[in-house]
Amino acid sequence: MSLQVTLKILRSRPHQEQRYDTFDVTVPDAANVLDAIEQAWAHHDRDLMFRHACHHASCGTCAVRINGREKLPCIAPVKDYDGGEIKIEPLRNFPIVGDLVVDVAPFFQNQEASDFIITRPTENELDGKAIAHTQGLDPESAPTVPFNRFENCVECGICLSACPTMSADYKFFGPAGLAAIKRQLDKTTDANEREKLLHLADDEHGVWRCHSAWECTEACPQSVFPAESIMALRKEINAQRFKKFFRL
Amino acid sequence: MSNPPHVIIIGAGSTGSATAHDLALRGLSVTVVERGEIASGTTGRNHCLLHSGGRYCVNDKEGAIECIEENLILRRIMPHALEMNDGLFVALDDEDYAFQEDFLAGCEECHIPAREIPVKQALEIEPFLNPKIKAAVQVPDGVFEPWRFCTSFLATAKKNGATIRNFTEVSDLVFQGSAVAGIQVFDHRTGKTETIGADMVVNATGSWAGIIAEMAHVNVPVAPTAGVMVTIGTRLNNMVINRMHKPHDGDIVVPVRNTSIIGTTSWRVTSPDAIEIPQDQIDKMMHAGELLIPSIKAGRQRGVMAVARPLIASANVDARDFSRTFEAFNHRKQGGAAGIITISGGKTTTARGMAEKVSDVVCAELGISVECKTKTTPLVSYRDFYN
Repeated sequence: MSLQVTLKILRSRPHQEQRYDTFDVTVPDAANVLDAIEQAWAHHDRDLMFRHACHHASCGTCAVRINGREKLPCIAPVKDYDGGEIKIEPLRNFPIVGDLVVDVAPFFQNQEASDFIITRPTENELDGKAIAHTQGLDPESAPTVPFNRFENCVECGICLSACPTMSADYKFFGPAGLAAIKRQLDKTTDANEREKLLHLADDEHGVWRCHSAWECTEACPQSVFPAESIMALRKEINAQRFKKFFRL
Repeated sequence: MSNPPHVIIIGAGSTGSATAHDLALRGLSVTVVERGEIASGTTGRNHCLLHSGGRYCVNDKEGAIECIEENLILRRIMPHALEMNDGLFVALDDEDYAFQEDFLAGCEECHIPAREIPVKQALEIEPFLNPKIKAAVQVPDGVFEPWRFCTSFLATAKKNGATIRNFTEVSDLVFQGSAVAGIQVFDHRTGKTETIGADMVVNATGSWAGIIAEMAHVNVPVAPTAGVMVTIGTRLNNMVINRMHKPHDGDIVVPVRNTSIIGTTSWRVTSPDAIEIPQDQIDKMMHAGELLIPSIKAGRQRGVMAVARPLIASANVDARDFSRTFEAFNHRKQGGAAGIITISGGKTTTARGMAEKVSDVVCAELGISVECKTKTTPLVSYRDFYN
C-alpha cells in the first residue's frame, strides 16, 4: 500500500533566484510529509536543503509551512492531504539559509536569555492520572529522585513564523522566548530571579508589543500556549508595578 | 603537520559530535563536516533511551558494561539534557518471570544497580502498566533528546575552537601518495566545491561509513540494520518500560516529553538512505507495546520513524544478535590507507566512550599524548551552538 504525492517545494539560495520545484514521490500509507521530503531528496535532488533529526516532534528542527500553515512535517500524515499537491515553504520571519533551512541563531539566543532549562523538575501526573510518587512507598524500593520531564516547547520556531507582530517588528522577543520566560518564572521563587525575568519581558519589544492575535497558540504543535503566557506575564508585571507604586 | 594538528570529522551524529568535543578539549584543531542537519541520520531517529545496560546484561555483557559506565558519566556532564526517571523491567508471563534470575545476575555482573519493586508499588508509580505483570525490577535507564544531545557536544567543541560545518557534504577524499590528506566537500549553501587539508580524517558516518571507506579504498564491516519506532500521542509511562526477557521486537516503551515511543524492530538493509516504513512492522510494534501498556491500543499514533543502525557485522549471526558494542578501525594498521580512522557500531548512550577510544587512536597516530578529559567536563548549553 502506498501513496502518490506531488511536492511543490520553494527553492532558494543566497546566490539564486527563488523558484518552486515539483517532485512526484511514492510513500507508504503511514508516511508523514517529512518522509516525502526525504524521498524527494534521496531519489530526485541531493541538493535539496531541509532540517530534520528526530522524526517524532521532539527536536523541533523540521518546522516548515505546509500549504501555508506552520507544521512539523514529521507528524503531518501525507494521507491528510488527500493525494493533492503539497506546497512546502520555509518558516517566515527567519533569514533563509537555503531551501527549507532557516537561520535559527537569533531565535536560540533569545531562548537562552531567560536561561530557559528544557527540563522541568517534578511531575505528579501522567495523562490525567495522579502518580503515587514516592510518598507512602517503601523508601528502599521507591524511585530515588522525583520524576522530571522535558518541557513541552521543542523550540521549533513555528510560533515566530505564525506571529504577525514578528513580521512587523524583527526585534520582538517572540512567543517562544516569552513563554520560556514564563516557564522559568513558574520554576523559581527567588525574588531577584523573578524580578530579572519580569524585567526581560517588560520591554517595548517584549510582552507589550504583542497584538494578541493568538496565532502562536493556534499554530503551536506542542500545547505550549505562548499567547496565554504573554497575557499572564503582563498581569504579573502590572501587579508588580502596582505593588511598587503603593509600596506594598 | 600543522600545529596543533588538524583533524576533520565526517558526520555530526552522536559519535562525530562527541569526538569533536573530545579532540577540541585535547587542544587539537577540529573541523566537523556534516552533509545535512546535526543528527539527521541514525542518531536523530533514535529511541532516546539512555541505556542502563539492562537490555543487554544477559546476552551482550560487553555492551551492557559500556552502557552503565557511560550512563553514569552523561548524568554528570549533561544533566539538563536528560529525563532521569529510571526504567522498569517487567515480567508478563512465566517465561519472563523465569528470566528474572538471569536478568538480576546479569545486572550484578555488569554492575548495573537493580532492585525488585513489589508489583503493587510498580502499578502505583505506573498506573497504565499492564496490571497482570508478575514482577518488576528498577534500573537506572534514562531518556535523552538526540538533537540536543549532539548539539551540546558540538556547542562545547565550538567553544573550544572547533569549526562545525553542516550542509557540507564530502564528495571525495584528497590523497598524498597513498595516505588520506584531506577531503573535498560540496557546500550546499554556497554551491561551491572546496578542499580542506587534514592531518587525520575521522570517518564517523555510522551507517554510511562504507561510502567514505570506499573513497579511501578500505573496507569496514558495518551492517546497516533498520528499525521501526512508533510514537504515541500521549505519555503513558514515567519510567522506561522494558519487557524482562532477551531483546525482542517491540519490547520497550520509552517515554519522552509528552509522548511514548514503542520500539523496535530489526532487519538488514542495503542502502541506509530513506528507508521505507513497512506497515506490518508498525502493527507488530503496536501489538507488542499493548502487552506492556494496554492503553497504547486507544492511543493516537503520532509519528512513525525508521532508520538504519550502524552495527558491526559478524558472520552467520542474525541482525538482532549483532553486538551493540563499537570499534575503531585504524585502516593503516590493517594494510589500508593511512590518515583515516573509522569509528562505528555502538549506540548514542556510549558516544562519549566511542569518542574517547577513537580520539586515543587519532592522538597515537599523530604521535601526541594528551589525556581525555570528557568524563569530568560538563557540557555547555546546546543553545550556545548558535552564539
